[in-house]
Amino acid sequence: MKILFAEDETDLREVVTAYLEYQGYHVKAVSNGREAVENAASDAYDTLVLDVMMPEMDGVTAIRKIRETGNTTPAIFLTAKAEVADRVEGLDAGADDYLTKPFSMEELSARLRALGRRKREYKVRVMCFGNLELDTEASEIRALNTIGLAHREVRLLSCLLANTDREMTAEDLLKEVWNNEPADAETVWMYVSFLKAKLQSVQANVTIEGDRNHSFRLKEF
Amino acid sequence: MAQTGLYGFFRETMQQIMNRMTGQIEEYGRAYEAAHGEKLYEHLICRIKSEESAREKLCRLGQTADTWHALRSITDTIGIRIVCLFIDDVYENVRQIKSIPGCSVVREKDYIHNAKPNGYRSYHMILEVEADEPDVDGNTPGHYYVEIQLRTIAMDTWAALEHEIKYKKSIENQELIIQELRRCANELAACDVSMQTLKRIIREGE
Repeated sequence: MKILFAEDETDLREVVTAYLEYQGYHVKAVSNGREAVENAASDAYDTLVLDVMMPEMDGVTAIRKIRETGNTTPAIFLTAKAEVADRVEGLDAGADDYLTKPFSMEELSARLRALGRRKREYKVRVMCFGNLELDTEASEIRALNTIGLAHREVRLLSCLLANTDREMTAEDLLKEVWNNEPADAETVWMYVSFLKAKLQSVQANVTIEGDRNHSFRLKEF
Repeated sequence: MAQTGLYGFFRETMQQIMNRMTGQIEEYGRAYEAAHGEKLYEHLICRIKSEESAREKLCRLGQTADTWHALRSITDTIGIRIVCLFIDDVYENVRQIKSIPGCSVVREKDYIHNAKPNGYRSYHMILEVEADEPDVDGNTPGHYYVEIQLRTIAMDTWAALEHEIKYKKSIENQELIIQELRRCANELAACDVSMQTLKRIIREGE
């Protein structure tokens, strides 16, 4: 596990680095946001740990810049106790978790483990349901046949595959699949229709139940 | 009457059957267009299998290259291909062909819903067509095989490229090309299905 750690207070930086290395992590320690952005671009890390208040570039700006490059490495940021606005801003900028100072080393370690688990889930390559296989890397679905999916269809189908136990409303899907991009229930319906036709075309024994303007769910038949 | 060549005396009848079949397809095509204001297929081609390739096929099957085997062991000596804009049109054509009088389906294979491993997609029908003329078994009316292949334009384009590599003796990066061709087949199929879906959605909105 390789960690990029940005912290401007020398003492804290050294203590945390030593602790994490003792725990078996490889740590690249830097002292400001600008260096964090540069390192995130030049090297691949498993997790980013960023302090919020740093000279040259703060942690929130850094995570925003890192995310803008398409980098989805899990990120955790360190913030002072009272700064609710910072926490909100940091999470909205693309961080996955936060820790308030002062924090215990055990807690930092546990949160790193938790983020590591989640990262593995993100990386699931093939998702299955009934006789259907979704290959997220090749952007294809397979059953008796194979057919290609558009990027958006892959995300919509993985979302439905991850939620086969409940109904997903158009609003849920807009939030999960379209983030904040311009789209509405009609867009969702169109993509549900595309997917339904493709499921049928590969002869999957799975379909998407639900009608325009209602909620959707994958069902085996 | 020409009696030479592999098809001998029967070549003329084969030609007539092919013309009759295409005529019947064109006829239901015109009727459909008159009723729905759109074409049921984009184009139609036909051919009598060249004697050279019929001989090759019989040789491959380990059979004597004579007239009887050419007309009884090979089912695509008379071949028709119907190329459509949309997937639904393929199935509508299949339905229409089945209602043409004097022909019965011997075998059909839906390679659109069950694509071949290499990505090939098309709908194949082998028909037995009745003719006033006698056949190679001496029966009157005679029975002749006709193979009809139906596909979309995208499938047709793909098949044209696949045909090219199939008959090339040596190709550089063959593995890679086959793999990429398979990916293209899946992407084209995706487009065909999406276009059909959009068409249905547009129609629903009317």
